[in-house]
Amino acid sequence: MQRRSNRFSQTEAGGCPGRPPGGTARSPHCVRADVIPVDAEFGLEARDLHPRRPGPGEAVRSIVSSGAPVRSPPPVEGLPAVPRQRVGWKGRKDEFPLRVAALSDCCEVPGSETMTEELDLHGQDSDGGSEEVVLTPAELIERLEQEDNLRRAQRGDLKVSIHRMEMERIRYVLSSYLRCRLMKIEKFFPHILEKEKMRSGGEPSILSPEEFIFVKEYMDHTETHLRNVALKHMPPNLQKVDLLRAVPKPDLDSYVFLRVKERQENILVEPEADEQRDYVIDLEEGSQHLIRYKTIAPLVASGAVQLI
Amino acid sequence: MDAAEVEFLAEKELVTIIPNFSLDKIYLIGGDLGPFNPGLPVEVPLWLAINLKQRQKCRLLPPEWMDVEKLEQMRDQERKEETFTPVPSPHYMEITKLLLNHASDNIPKADTIRTLIKDLWDTRMAKLRVSADSFVRQQEAHAKLDNLTLMEINSSGAFLTQALNHMYKLRTNLQPSESTQS
Repeated sequence: MQRRSNRFSQTEAGGCPGRPPGGTARSPHCVRADVIPVDAEFGLEARDLHPRRPGPGEAVRSIVSSGAPVRSPPPVEGLPAVPRQRVGWKGRKDEFPLRVAALSDCCEVPGSETMTEELDLHGQDSDGGSEEVVLTPAELIERLEQEDNLRRAQRGDLKVSIHRMEMERIRYVLSSYLRCRLMKIEKFFPHILEKEKMRSGGEPSILSPEEFIFVKEYMDHTETHLRNVALKHMPPNLQKVDLLRAVPKPDLDSYVFLRVKERQENILVEPEADEQRDYVIDLEEGSQHLIRYKTIAPLVASGAVQLI
Repeated sequence: MDAAEVEFLAEKELVTIIPNFSLDKIYLIGGDLGPFNPGLPVEVPLWLAINLKQRQKCRLLPPEWMDVEKLEQMRDQERKEETFTPVPSPHYMEITKLLLNHASDNIPKADTIRTLIKDLWDTRMAKLRVSADSFVRQQEAHAKLDNLTLMEINSSGAFLTQALNHMYKLRTNLQPSESTQS
């Protein structure tokens, strides 16, 4: 199946229509505002790509909606559009690392396996939406690179190499994010497909179009393989395998580490010990916790906590 | 998450360098980096600082927390307290390692600092092990881990969460069978 390549056919590449005229928000120093329509706001802040962002049932976000500053995307609105204002390093010192961190976090943490699935459960367009978002930045990086090389060929090696280094770093983050998604898809493919089928028409997809094709093909291939290897030799009444039951579901009871973005009160903690002592805790902003995923699942979805 | 990935994230921290070349302002995707003038300090992300240092184009300045007295105080306080004390920087371990490996000539008393940071790290890891142990023993369902850096969480996090998951499964599967027996 096609592995994700940086070339995404699409429309998205063309520059998001409806991009808010705004680059007004941008500082005049925004890199290549003229070259890259999205004006590279796609600092690829992980937050923007982060699946947690959007609340359930939100309109499909597109890079377009990027107009909103991504900083703390209101759950109601669109997803953390990738684009965001660019300020100098000082301004974003905290954000950029966090964002990429968040991005990496969401992907790399094993617990996030269940997470993404959970997100998928809620029909978050985050995954799907973020895919769209991701497409364009990847595309844009390519374009940025080309422009870069053209314009800077004569401007000295140092600048070019610095830009190239940064590009590589961003590409690494992006690709590890995508790799993580593919890993999750491969691990839980029947459940993902099931969720896709169940999702109502109005809700945005959790997968990008390419991912959806990938899942379907993966499923077909697996079924074909099982059939050819074993099933067709079985007695006729045993020739079906229910992949939904055969493949383990994402485990929503696993423990995860999290960092709190917004203060939360009265989170119920249910110890599984014999004494039934459910108790509530408050989550202070900026604190870190270790807790079962199920209790905080909606908070992850709304972006109030961040997984580590 | 790998340790290498945590280091990758730590490389976004800003450090101060003194370049020996000049370059006008560059507009990176992540932000702008001010004009570089020889002899004038400028803040850049760590990945760039290390790279420039390797090309011998700059001199690194130690971050302000990387000072022997301050680190000694922190280490002593960490030893006294039962809980975790605030750290000098959320990525102190990675920054120290990178700076001391590549730029130890720019850091005064590099060896002492290395030892101090290592002591700090060891104390914190010991505390982490103890608290993880008590967490599991008492079958708690929730733990607060303020003041823990990503690297520390990551070092034992994967194992800890897997272990807790297994225990949870064992525990929850235990109860129904007990009730069926009775």
